[in-house]
Amino acid sequence: MKARAELWVKLKVTDLVVETAWLTLTEKLDFDYLRGLTKYSCWFMKCEGNSLEETADQLNRVITLDSTFTNQNKHKYSLIIEGEENKTGEGKSSSIAKRGDLNIDEDFTLRSEASSGKLYACDCFVTELESDKNMNYTDRISGRPGDISISEMRAGLVWRLIIEADSRNDAEKKAEEISVTRSRRGGLLLNPHYQDFEIISTVSLSERGAN
Amino acid sequence: MPDSFSGKVAVIQFPGVNCEPETVRAARAAGLEAEIFRWNMSPRLLNEAAAVILPGGFSYQDRVRAGAVAAKDRIMDKLSDLAGKGKPVLGICNGAQVLVEAGFIPGLHWEKIDLALAPNVMSDREGYYCNWIYLRVEENNCVWTGEYQEGEIAPMPIAHAEGRFITRDENIIDDMHRNNQIVLRYCSEAGRLDSSFPVNPNGSIENAAGICNPEGNVLAMMPHPERASWLRQVPEDISGKWRAKRRGSCFRPEKMEDEGPGLGFFASIIKEISG
Repeated sequence: MKARAELWVKLKVTDLVVETAWLTLTEKLDFDYLRGLTKYSCWFMKCEGNSLEETADQLNRVITLDSTFTNQNKHKYSLIIEGEENKTGEGKSSSIAKRGDLNIDEDFTLRSEASSGKLYACDCFVTELESDKNMNYTDRISGRPGDISISEMRAGLVWRLIIEADSRNDAEKKAEEISVTRSRRGGLLLNPHYQDFEIISTVSLSERGAN
Repeated sequence: MPDSFSGKVAVIQFPGVNCEPETVRAARAAGLEAEIFRWNMSPRLLNEAAAVILPGGFSYQDRVRAGAVAAKDRIMDKLSDLAGKGKPVLGICNGAQVLVEAGFIPGLHWEKIDLALAPNVMSDREGYYCNWIYLRVEENNCVWTGEYQEGEIAPMPIAHAEGRFITRDENIIDDMHRNNQIVLRYCSEAGRLDSSFPVNPNGSIENAAGICNPEGNVLAMMPHPERASWLRQVPEDISGKWRAKRRGSCFRPEKMEDEGPGLGFFASIIKEISG
């Protein structure tokens, strides 16, 4: 059975990198539309196993045993496995298996209230170019006993930016301004000369009633 | 802390840097007046400074990315102004990362980020690398290399995990060549350029170890000249002309305090700031 797996890992305690980034963005760079900031280490992979639940259990065992992925003393994590297709390869399956103690669908912490605009949570996925880390992570999972085979792996950081904006497009434009360092007074979170950037999700918090 | 930096070299101490005392000592050994300048002192005090050095270490604990947070600091507003007017500015290791993240280097479009100092790329290993390497000084108009001859080879220590000069824009490399901005290159002990490890210890483009701005007053270099400023700091098994000097100093304590291969970077600006 083919599946897509997502692993989101976050510190249990205050992440000082996030605190420093927040202060830099809001006090030194005056991004006054930024309302919240969170950081996750993420692994997105395509895998194949015997069944959804069995694959979830096996992956869960690997990531809890191997401190490359999580350290139970200091991390919370969310492992989400979604079946990609049925046996005949036709259509998408909606089956999902979840493991872990972090609910990323509800992890939206506001640091300052919106003034008038709507709130959007943009997940910005930052990866390194020319890195062989993805291969290393694949080996770490495949090297463990079990029946999981990994066909694709993308590892990086996801910065969850909560932004006050007029629209979804406006929020994504602002997320890019905050993230990509194009000039000294520009963004902060990645250097485009060796890192890639992709907005993988934008959620309207105003519509969800999170405000 | 001094309340005046008139005529002195200001060595900026960001939170987390750790090479500022030895950088001050090396600058003083070269004949400069140098003092530590805390990052939260009044930036106006830098107006009278003769030159500014950003030393090595881990500014802001390398949070987010090495040099990225310090590059946004208030003191960098003043430094941008002064460097743009020609004040000599040297960034060593983490200081180089700050200058690149601030867009002072390569400085083709002031404060625009045209380069990165990315994580090292090495064969069969990754991450932090600490060793002595060889530098070749190239033809240039940089004020920080005036004491060196063109083609001179200087051994120097490096110690970093993110020291790979890289850009996505090929035109930047062409422009840097045109302006003779790649002033220091990693080379073999014989001066030969080789892009593979260990001659090029981090995978840097063009074997670049140090890049200056087009005007030559700002230099970002990954090697640590302050750790090669006295003969006693040079390993005995180093090659080239420094081998004989170093071995000749064995059991002669007075010779151990002689000038090392890195002192020239600090001595180079004496003429510049006194003229």
